[in-house]
Amino acid sequence: MSAAPGLVGVRPRFNRRGALTALLAGAFLASLAMVAGDELTHSGGGAAAWDLLGSLLRPDLSRAFLATVAEASLLTLGYAVAGMSVALVIGVPGAFLVSGVLTRRRVVRAGSVAAGRSVFATLRAIHELVWALLLLSILGLTPLAGVLAIGIPYGATVARVLGERLQDVPPAPPAALETAGASPWQILCYARLPLAGADMAGYVFYRFECAVRAAAVLSFIGLGGIGYRIEIALADLRFEQVWTLLAALVTVIVIVDRVSAMVRARMVV
Amino acid sequence: MDDVRLEAAQARMLPDATARTPTRRATLHLAAGVLVTVVAAWWFVLAQEGSDVPAAGQVLDRTVDFAGRLLGVGDEATPAYAQSAKWAVVGRLALDTVVMSVLAAGMAGLGALATIAFAARSLTIGEFAPANRLLGRAAYLVVRGVHVVARSVPELVWALLLVFLVRPGVLAGALALALHDLGVMGRLGADVIDGLDRGPLRGLRASGARRLEILAYGVLPAALPQLVTFLLYRWEVIIRASVVVGFITAAGLGFQLRLDLSARRWTDVALILLVYVLLVWTVDLASTALRRLAR
Repeated sequence: MSAAPGLVGVRPRFNRRGALTALLAGAFLASLAMVAGDELTHSGGGAAAWDLLGSLLRPDLSRAFLATVAEASLLTLGYAVAGMSVALVIGVPGAFLVSGVLTRRRVVRAGSVAAGRSVFATLRAIHELVWALLLLSILGLTPLAGVLAIGIPYGATVARVLGERLQDVPPAPPAALETAGASPWQILCYARLPLAGADMAGYVFYRFECAVRAAAVLSFIGLGGIGYRIEIALADLRFEQVWTLLAALVTVIVIVDRVSAMVRARMVV
Repeated sequence: MDDVRLEAAQARMLPDATARTPTRRATLHLAAGVLVTVVAAWWFVLAQEGSDVPAAGQVLDRTVDFAGRLLGVGDEATPAYAQSAKWAVVGRLALDTVVMSVLAAGMAGLGALATIAFAARSLTIGEFAPANRLLGRAAYLVVRGVHVVARSVPELVWALLLVFLVRPGVLAGALALALHDLGVMGRLGADVIDGLDRGPLRGLRASGARRLEILAYGVLPAALPQLVTFLLYRWEVIIRASVVVGFITAAGLGFQLRLDLSARRWTDVALILLVYVLLVWTVDLASTALRRLAR
């Protein structure tokens, strides 16, 4: 074995991956040490575990309850769709703003990019349910609070990610249009959107899957849906209903996943 | 950019070189379908949940009012964010939240590392399947199923279930976060393995390596950097959610936020929100810096 010429005797001064491994393991072990004294299970834990697992074998499949489950699932889907519609209203113009593709003036572009980024970063940092709690304080208990709680942070995320997609298209087609005298709008419509469109749609569908999960827990502020039914069933210790509801949630997520894969396949072929 | 690639992989949408522009017809159909769905969804939600939506002017008034309360306008008491004692308390809670998130990410990472080989098509039913076809297929279906269920159930619902079994606290919250994240990491990890360059693996097999050796010397070294990158990226998502899980498992910033909100201690709420956003930003920066090390 001989080293490449010019590299003889040169060793990396600092093993970056080794350092990272040590850092991550150290952080994990330190965190573990901080909770090491805590007891994990409580006195009733064992019995509750048996109740929970035992009822897994006999989920509630009565017709009346299945109708409730179906209605709750539809409501959760409804919240997710409505929330995503708000997210797109915020996110698509936001993507144009944070990618700076709509202007050629350097100063305007830098300003809009910086302003957009910092505003969206703040909106995004706050979790959907924290938004829900805040909006509850402002709007009262209305479905609008739930829809906006999904729409605002998701809109900010969609803006950032779609904006990056718009920026990351191959540079030649936009440059060619620009040379031919196209306006930024024309470049957006005839180069950037066709190049990035399918990818962007794919991301929106992935976000929709997340929105379904977020909508499922809007019960936390008192709105309906699958989470609301789960909370009721847990409060009544009807574990067999909890399992049916969880199965419904998993089914909805899997269906959304399949449909989005189908739509994406139709869009790119 | 790195973030874009990560998000793309998470959306299972690594840029496809063969992607072509959609036809105009397909786009029109899609747009019409989306429009009908959106209108139906709004109608259904409002019909089911009551449509007492406040008017726009009212919303503006209430927002201004709410912002004023958060800032402590017209409040005689010293606002919470001007008291150093309150900062110390909230700082301690923030530390709990960080510990919860690190534990969750660590547990999910270890869990994913232990299971992703069984969730990868190529190692169970594809090219590198075990001699016993049935066993490979069974392992794939079971582990994939576990990942799908773990991922489909939101952290908050895991927390609601876990508090029946586990003493409320940091550890319970970490478990709830880890369960959901195991599902996400499992899916991402399996996709990473399936996307690996098969050449080196074939080389190992041709030179007589057994399956475990292919895994240890071929799959793991190639997949690990990408997995660590994903884990760090997920840490950002976990820290956001750890506040929400804290509502249920009585730990960290989340629980205090819930208490202060219900007691209408608005300036305390403002302080927690401020520390929360700062925490998320700090973790974003730390994760970005660490991801650079992983490359």
